[in-house]
Amino acid sequence: MTAPQVEQVEPGVYSVLVEGRSYEARVEQVEGGVAVFVDGHRFEIEVHDPRRWRRQTGGREIAGRLNVVAPMPGKIVRLLVAAGDTVAAGQGLLVVEAMKMQNEVKAPKAGRVVSMTGREGATAAAGDVLAIIE
Amino acid sequence: MFRKVLIANRGEIAIRVMRTLREMEIVTVAVFSDADRASLHVRMADEAAWVGPSPSAESYLRIDRILEAARKHGADAIHPGYGFLSENADFAAACEEAGIVFIGPSAESIRRMGSKTAARQMAMAAGAPVVPGALETLASVDEARSFGARYGYPLLLKAVAGGGGKGMRRVDSDAALESAFRDAASEAERSFKNADLYVEKLIERPRHIEIQILGDRHGHMVHFGERECSIQRRHQKVMEECPSPLVAERAGMRERMGEAAMRVARSAGYYNAGTVEFLVDGSGDFYFLEMNTRLQVEHPITELVTGQDLVRLQMEVAAGAKLSLRQEEIAWRGWAIESRIYAEDPYNNFFPSPGKITRLTRPTGPGVRLDGCVYEGWNVPIDYDPLLAKLAVWNDTRERAIARMMRSLREYDVGGIRTNIAFFRQILEDEEFRRGRLHTGFVDEFLARCKPLQPPPELAAIAELVAAHHAKESTSRNGSIPAAPAAPSRWREIGRGEMLR
Repeated sequence: MTAPQVEQVEPGVYSVLVEGRSYEARVEQVEGGVAVFVDGHRFEIEVHDPRRWRRQTGGREIAGRLNVVAPMPGKIVRLLVAAGDTVAAGQGLLVVEAMKMQNEVKAPKAGRVVSMTGREGATAAAGDVLAIIE
Repeated sequence: MFRKVLIANRGEIAIRVMRTLREMEIVTVAVFSDADRASLHVRMADEAAWVGPSPSAESYLRIDRILEAARKHGADAIHPGYGFLSENADFAAACEEAGIVFIGPSAESIRRMGSKTAARQMAMAAGAPVVPGALETLASVDEARSFGARYGYPLLLKAVAGGGGKGMRRVDSDAALESAFRDAASEAERSFKNADLYVEKLIERPRHIEIQILGDRHGHMVHFGERECSIQRRHQKVMEECPSPLVAERAGMRERMGEAAMRVARSAGYYNAGTVEFLVDGSGDFYFLEMNTRLQVEHPITELVTGQDLVRLQMEVAAGAKLSLRQEEIAWRGWAIESRIYAEDPYNNFFPSPGKITRLTRPTGPGVRLDGCVYEGWNVPIDYDPLLAKLAVWNDTRERAIARMMRSLREYDVGGIRTNIAFFRQILEDEEFRRGRLHTGFVDEFLARCKPLQPPPELAAIAELVAAHHAKESTSRNGSIPAAPAAPSRWREIGRGEMLR
């Protein structure tokens, strides 16, 4: 048994070689995780990588601030908190609607909301900063 | 020939038409609404004119604005594509009045074919077979009884004022006629305040087969054979093939249908491209249904099999040229299949799925033709039909064309939105489909019988592996933290292999 080789060949597209067989997989961000497409089959996978949370409290923060970004394109339907509010980790910050589904975007850590950059009724592209927490 | 042509349409058909215009060195003018500013047909055109806000009633359906754009840009002619104004007799007339050529039949022909009952009477007068039935209101149940005695059962009682299946009854025998008549009449009375009924012979499990015709303004007409369009969902075609598996195995059937189609078209004084639709029963008898007075969505499969460019021929006859093509010169070679790729979710009731295309890989290679309007980064607007592309393939036999379609669908990847790509793969694997046993109820029966497809377990393992890898990649690469649930959990596969139902 050799270890599978995983290579990101394009953004979000992975080539996987396992025991001489070749697969291609494509990853999309969805609420709470990712959807992975392999040969037309769709798998939803909930993501939690302990390393990821460690990184959040590590050197990636700029001056203790953290950007919360839109996981997918959609319309901001509701803001649940305001600038100045104190939030707990996992608390809902705002609701984004995409493809007729409403998804809550949650605080990745406890802290104070520095600003809410998203506006109700506005559309957000994937990766847009929606809120800043410190 | 025209110097400049405006395409009064959007999406893939606008692009399809432009491609031929460009090959003919004709300048192209696109029109667009607010929602389509960034659409591919605008990007591809030589010139473009804004015609209004996103709703089509305020833009693509505005005759005044389309004509104003044509005048402003100095277009000689307008190609209407399909849908929108393509079968609007007033639009065709307005073009002619404005001194701009409408690339299609006369306003008069459109008008004559526009009414189903008038078209049917014209077809009968032209000697084309129509579904046996009495268009007149039945005076009594006895009239229905003598119809049944003459044409046989099953028959269909329909409300004269009807629609949507209300006031409609299937009758399988003489004995069942009286109560069915009573029920249908009272239902018609309740629904439409009109109890009048008429009777028609019921064609069981009919095929939908249509004939492509094209004529010039000098009385010369040819047909390009048939397309089988029986794979439909809610009366919308989703997959078509040329030739028809039925017609292909019956000597002389194509010629008989072609002749019948041309007789109907000629009786309407028809010129330019058109399609005559027929219902075909199990014994191969065909009945006129209606005529579409425009280029059809599914015209590419006819082009693949006959080697003709129908848009070029449309241009030539619209410019007044004599059609140089003779019927004997039209030959059918091999097999073509088309799949209509829609932004819709086949596993959620075919719900529309507009949004941004985040990834796109198009099928290519031998025998593949793609008529599309999508690009990576484009937002599929919510305002229009969700047709993204028509994937058509050609091969020398039906079996090989199916294999090629399967291969092409596997190459096709559209990210960010849902599409019906996987649904076609399921149909192509169906035994009934492979045997060519098609009828207009095929998709409904297929949806009822198709078994959940289990994704191979090894693919689930690959998906988990890649998800883990992806999480590492995105955290090490990205300064921003993706919004995600904070509740800790281990890797878990929610397990929606979505080709299963």
